[in-house]
This record gives sequence, C-alpha cells and structure tokens, in this order.
Amino acid sequence: MNIARVMGVFTLAALSTPAWADQVTINLWTIDRPGEYHYKMAEEFSAKNPDIKVNVRSVQFPDMVNELAKAMATGEAPDVTYIDNPDVALFASRKLLLDMKPLIDQSSVIKLDQIYPGPLASVSYKGGVYGIPRGANTIALYYNADLFKAAGLDPAKPPKTWDELYATAKKLNQPDKGVYGLAFSAAASEEGTFQFLPWLQMAGGDYDKVNVPGGVKALALWKKFIDEGLASKDTLIRGQWDSTGTFNAGNAAMDISGPWELPRMSKDAKFEYRVALLPVPEEGAPRASALGEGDNVIVANTKHPKEAFKFVEYMYEQMPRVWNEFGYMPAYPVKVDKPNYPQAYDVFNESMKFARNRGPSPDWAKISKAIQTAIQTTLTGQSSPENALAAAQKSIDGILGK
Amino acid sequence: MLRFNSTVRDGGGFDGALVMMALVYLVAFSAFPLVYNLVISFQSVDLFTIATFDRPFAGFQNYREIVDDPLFWPIVRNTFIFVLLSVGGQLGIGFALALFFRMDFPGSTWLRGLFLAGWIMPGLVVGAIWGWILAGDFGVLNWLLQSLGLSSQRIFWLSDPTISLYSVIIANIWLGTSFNMILLSVGLSGISKDLYEAAELDGADVWQRFWTITLPMMRSTIGAIVSLGLIFTLQQFDLFAAITSGGPNNSSNVAQYWAWDLSFRQYDFARGATISVIMIIFVMLASVVYVRSTRQEIRG
Repeated sequence: MNIARVMGVFTLAALSTPAWADQVTINLWTIDRPGEYHYKMAEEFSAKNPDIKVNVRSVQFPDMVNELAKAMATGEAPDVTYIDNPDVALFASRKLLLDMKPLIDQSSVIKLDQIYPGPLASVSYKGGVYGIPRGANTIALYYNADLFKAAGLDPAKPPKTWDELYATAKKLNQPDKGVYGLAFSAAASEEGTFQFLPWLQMAGGDYDKVNVPGGVKALALWKKFIDEGLASKDTLIRGQWDSTGTFNAGNAAMDISGPWELPRMSKDAKFEYRVALLPVPEEGAPRASALGEGDNVIVANTKHPKEAFKFVEYMYEQMPRVWNEFGYMPAYPVKVDKPNYPQAYDVFNESMKFARNRGPSPDWAKISKAIQTAIQTTLTGQSSPENALAAAQKSIDGILGK
Repeated sequence: MLRFNSTVRDGGGFDGALVMMALVYLVAFSAFPLVYNLVISFQSVDLFTIATFDRPFAGFQNYREIVDDPLFWPIVRNTFIFVLLSVGGQLGIGFALALFFRMDFPGSTWLRGLFLAGWIMPGLVVGAIWGWILAGDFGVLNWLLQSLGLSSQRIFWLSDPTISLYSVIIANIWLGTSFNMILLSVGLSGISKDLYEAAELDGADVWQRFWTITLPMMRSTIGAIVSLGLIFTLQQFDLFAAITSGGPNNSSNVAQYWAWDLSFRQYDFARGATISVIMIIFVMLASVVYVRSTRQEIRG
C-alpha cells in the first residue's frame, strides 16, 4: 500500500515536470578554473533558465587551440567555447564557428556598434561576426611616482612621447642601485608581439605592413633601451609577468604591462604607482594599444544554436561586472560604480578606445613568429632594425600569399 | 582443451602469451607513433587534418623546407654542442664522483644516495631553479661571483646569445650527473679488488691502475652510459622550456625544442614531425651502440 503510494507520487512528479524531458544541455569549454568567470556565468545562467543546463570543462590555455581543432575534427566539440582573440580568424576561416551576425541583428541585447573597435575587429572576419568578447585587456605605462619625485620629475606629468619616455628612463636609471629606467617584454613568444605591435601601429604600420619607417624607429628605440642599459638584457627572455615583478620590487622605475598586474602590484609594491597611456611617437600622433583577453564563440555545428546564443547574450549583459569581479576591461563602454584601482581603471578604460586587434589572419601564429624574430635579431645585435623588419616583411608577405 | 590449458599454464603457450603482451605493447605505444610520425613527415598537415590519415602526399617537400630553413644549420650546431658537452660533462663528473665514493669513507653510501635527489626532480622544477640561479639581474650566481670579486659586471647567462646555450648545458650536466654516477658506481663495484692488489704488488701507480684496469673493465658500462646519455640529452625539452625557451634569437634552440615549437606553437605538425624523424635516425644509431655494448656485457 505504502509502496504503491510512493510510486504514485513519483509518477505524478515525473509527469508534472515536462521541463526535465526538454532540458537542453550546452557544453562549454573554458580556460578558467572552477569559481572563475565561465563557471559563475554557467551557474547563474542555468539558475535563471532551468531548461538549459551548461556543462563546463576546463582546458589549459596553451592547449585550447589544439584541443578544439581535434574535437572539431572528431565531432566532439563543445557548443560554446572561449578562444583567445588572435585565434578567432583561424577557426572562422575554416567555417568552424557560427556566424552570429543574423542572430545579433535580431538581438535586443547585443549591439555591435556599442563594442569598442578593437574587440569588434577581433571577432569579425570577412563580413561575419564569429564571437562576442567576454571582456578585454590592454597595456599601458606603469610608473613609480616615488622614484619620479626622487629624480626631480613631476609624477603628474608622465612621459607622453617616445622621446620623453627615453629621456625619463635615462633620468630614472640608477645602475649602481640596481634600478632600471624601464621594464617591458621583448620575449620570443606571443608576449613579445603583443608588446611591440602597438608601437608599430602608432607609427603607421600593422601586422601586414611591418617594414615602415616608424617600425624601424620603434625597434631602434627598443634596442637603445637595451644597449644603454636602461632596460635589463633579460627583457629578451622575460615575459610581462616577470618583468613587472622587477617593477614591483622597485628594480625598475617604469613598466609596460596590463591590468592583470594590479592585484599583485597592490600587495607587493611598497611605493606609489600610477598608470599612464602608452607614449606616442610624437605629439599628435595616433594612439594604439594592445588588445588581449578572448571571446565567447559558438561552434558551427552545434545542435542548439538558439540556446547557445542566449547564453552568449547573457554573458554580454554582464559586462559592467567584469572589471570588479574578474579583472577584465569591459569591451564596450559601461558605467562601473566604484571601480577597483580607480586611477588605473580610468587609464586602461581610456586606452581601450585605442586597443587594436592582432590580425585578423588564419596564420596569426606564423605572422607573430616573424615579428618576434625581427625583435630578437635586432635586440641581440645580429641584424639592423631595417634588415630585420625587411626580412619579417618578406616572410609575412609569403604567409599572406601576397 | 586440456592440452591447450596446460600449454598456457606452463609451456610454449605461456611463453608465447608473455611475448605477445610485450609485443602488443610495443606495437601500440612505440611502433605506431613512430610510423605515424613518419607518415606525417611526408604529408602536408595542418591543425584540422591532424585526426585523419587522408592527407595530401607531400613527398620530400617538408624535408627540403627544413633543410633550407635559415635556422637549420645553427640549430644542428647547437644540438651537437649541447649533446657533446652534456654527455661529456655528465660522464666526466659522474665518473669522478663514482671514483670518489668508492673510497668508502664514513657516510659515503648515504651521500651517494642523496645525489640521486637531483635526478628524481622533474625537469621543469630543475629548470625553474636554474632560471633563478642564472638570472641576469638578481640571480644567485651573479651575486656570488660579484661578492667573491670574480666578476665586476653582471653576466647575462640567459639573455646573452653567446652564453645562453651553455647555461642550459650547465643545468643539464647537473641534472644528469647523479644518474651517471650511480651506473658507474655499479660498474666499478663489479671490478674485482684482486686485480688492483695484483697491480699494486707489481708496482703500478694510481694512474697506471686507472688506465690499465679501471677504464678497460668499464668499457661496456661507459658505452651504455654514453648512448643512454645521448638519448636522454636529445629528449631534454623541459630545461629549454623553463630556462631560455630556446632564446634569445634561437641562440639556445635545439632540434627537439624546435620540433615542439613548430608543431604546437605554429601548428606546423608536418615540419615538426620531420625534425623528429631526423632525430629518430640519430637516436637509432645510438641505440645500436647501446645494444652492442650491453651484449658484450652479458658475454664478458
């Protein structure tokens, strides 16, 4: 009797919740760890939409492209995934990502003209829109205000042009005290390209046009920093995180890096640090800055494009939260109440207007390698800036099939 | 049925089963990847065709491109220097330590065991530690050299293109020495003490005993160690990844790191595989030496 009643209740329960039968599962790949951005987004979205369940899987950042390509070849790809912004073109060119343009045109949430030009360029490929930035980051000039004062410089007037940057670095350089004028990264990795490209873009070049007089000037200035001991020789092999570590320790008076440094810097740096926009070639020259972070993309052959897009829309709506909660710059202008690190936030936020895409090119990794080679051959003195950039131009033209 | 059971339990069938297990393992985990690698090196492969065999045949195109690459000869040279100095250094220092610990002073066995700690550590950890020691601005080694007055200027061990390769070699010698020492100690303990006593009675001095007894008796051990060292050294990837990433400007780049960079950074799997195939040929030559030297060991 009892058993029959219990069974009856179960049957009723099963019949009265048809949502269970219709529940859609979306698979999401991310580079985040549990508790970070995508895990939170998935949890919140599933709670608001009980008919959609989001399964999250973490993939190591360096393995993401490989893993995705493999999964797409074998039909085991997720529905939604994170892709670092220079890699979007690689997948978009193969039609492996869903072109969201038609969906966005009908969306009341996502408005393309709202998004900053840099992040928008990073998800656009040949007229289609293949992703939505989850946030962004960029680089700027950090400087040690205490060392500025000690050297008789006005910390309210950070260097604005390349010439001023050089002169300031020279004034702040104190080899006997183990203080370099400037720290940055010229490593033979994506980080080297990430740091150099804005200099090239400010001077009139770009990824497909590296052999320009401005590029030669930029590279010659980088070489001068190294040769004159204004920046450490280890700049050639050190990433941005380690270079900024030397700034935090007081061993470099200025540093070029991004907003991801702030949590550590606010703990480690025992001095007043400030942030300024990247110096430009000369007064009045156009600005440029790097564009980092990645995009939420939908895989082309997903079975649930509608639900996946709804999830992407939800994440887009959360943009006002990304700075304070996750440490990314918003990819479109939003109002952030009481931003963390307000002075830095204002500068990075301003800098976002000038952030420019790397590429787009399906062969970005090879183009980046050519730029890294030009940086490294110049800074080790094995080639002049002119020859290095001419060689890079030649290999880039080959890659782009010009 | 009964006969089948008994042959499996104890007889030819049992032997066959054991051999098959090893054979299946070798085919699945050694032969297949080797053949796959070889196949890839003759195809044009990209990121999206990596999961299929059906790819355009490229002939020797990949090989031509690798040899024509401006990096090819510098990297061959670096690889050669790296292998030669690493194996030489590991063997030389390992031999000296093995002879030292043979003197049986109090605590010698303990100390010898402790030396192995370095070899057990993962390459990436060892690399990170050497990275700190050798760092240009705030490295331990520069601090030591400067406070001892041996060097007035900082030496940029990792970012000076004329030094960086040797920095990785130093780390690799440190990493491999203890393994060499242990194998050589085993070899040394196999030499009968009577030989030395007889030689001493005949009036042979230390050097003569070393050259006429120790070295000839250790020939097969040394042969094995050199070929193993060659294989381990050609496999050494972690130290490059952790210490210099092959830089600056490829001055510390070697074949195995280049293969990885092509395959997994630039997604050029075909050329990455081509380098591996060229390296496999070298390792196979080393294996022949190794097999021959151990064969002699069994006979002798």
